[in-house]
Amino acid sequence: MASSSTSSSSGVPAERRGIPAASFVEDVQTYLTQLGFDANSALAFLQERLQQYRIVEMKLLAQQRDLQAKIPDIEKCLDIVSTIQAKKGSGEKLIADFEVSEGIYSRARIEDSGSVCLWLGANVMLEYSCEEANELLKKNLENAKASLEVLIADLQFLRDQVTVTQVTTARVYNWDVHQRRIKQAS
Amino acid sequence: MQQQKGSGSEVEVTWEDQLNINKFGRLNNRFHELEDEIKIAKENNESLEDASNELILSDEDIVRFQIGEIFAHMPREQVESKLEIMKQNSSKELEKLEEEKESVLAQMAHLKKVLYGKFKDSINLEED
Repeated sequence: MASSSTSSSSGVPAERRGIPAASFVEDVQTYLTQLGFDANSALAFLQERLQQYRIVEMKLLAQQRDLQAKIPDIEKCLDIVSTIQAKKGSGEKLIADFEVSEGIYSRARIEDSGSVCLWLGANVMLEYSCEEANELLKKNLENAKASLEVLIADLQFLRDQVTVTQVTTARVYNWDVHQRRIKQAS
Repeated sequence: MQQQKGSGSEVEVTWEDQLNINKFGRLNNRFHELEDEIKIAKENNESLEDASNELILSDEDIVRFQIGEIFAHMPREQVESKLEIMKQNSSKELEKLEEEKESVLAQMAHLKKVLYGKFKDSINLEED
């Protein structure tokens, strides 16, 4: 795919994790000549780019939603583990009401075992001591938060490229209108 | 949200202008995210207030306090202190979000001045 290298824009990577950067156009005339496009082909090319960006945006937004749901879940787990740890010292049993099925609750007496079972996914559940469980959950939480940060940065980069492409589209269009007016006048 | 009208006028767009436009776009996105987050934070605050009030009205010694998916039986004082802490954290969070919102709005207002100053009618930075 042809991409103009006229941009003197500093500090913008040519692509980020598979997302191509939209090169900034200094001068529309030069841009069109370099690419060998006329205005209409350029506009079509830019529109196609925009479509591709939108598809990637959908994907990233879905990933972001997943992560944003995962983080409070991990925090709830950490809460429970710390509650169990707190009870451990006191020797009392933790009494809790839990949902057996939708709308049906039962009472549980959680003994002072000092360990919990963690669901690791893929039908696997392992028993951990409270301290180990804390470690694991905290690490998972940090990883999730770090992934979310990277994802948000990706989305910002992507949206910038969309903006640049939209502005370039408008400028090519304006340039074309301008050219037609000049031709008509002469 | 923003479009340049095809007036055919030849105001040149520099890289700096593009950066400003990009920044405005980012700020606008953040602004909408913040509005949603603030709404959720306010609802959270209210729920905690309601819970607190219910607790005062009730005269049970053992209260069922939700942790994760279960309702743990806890002595009343413990629940009171937990609620207090949660309420404090929630208001701090809300305050932080409101402050960020103010900052974002201020930056957007500044950028609007700069961009409208250069492009006047050729650019539209309003919500449609």
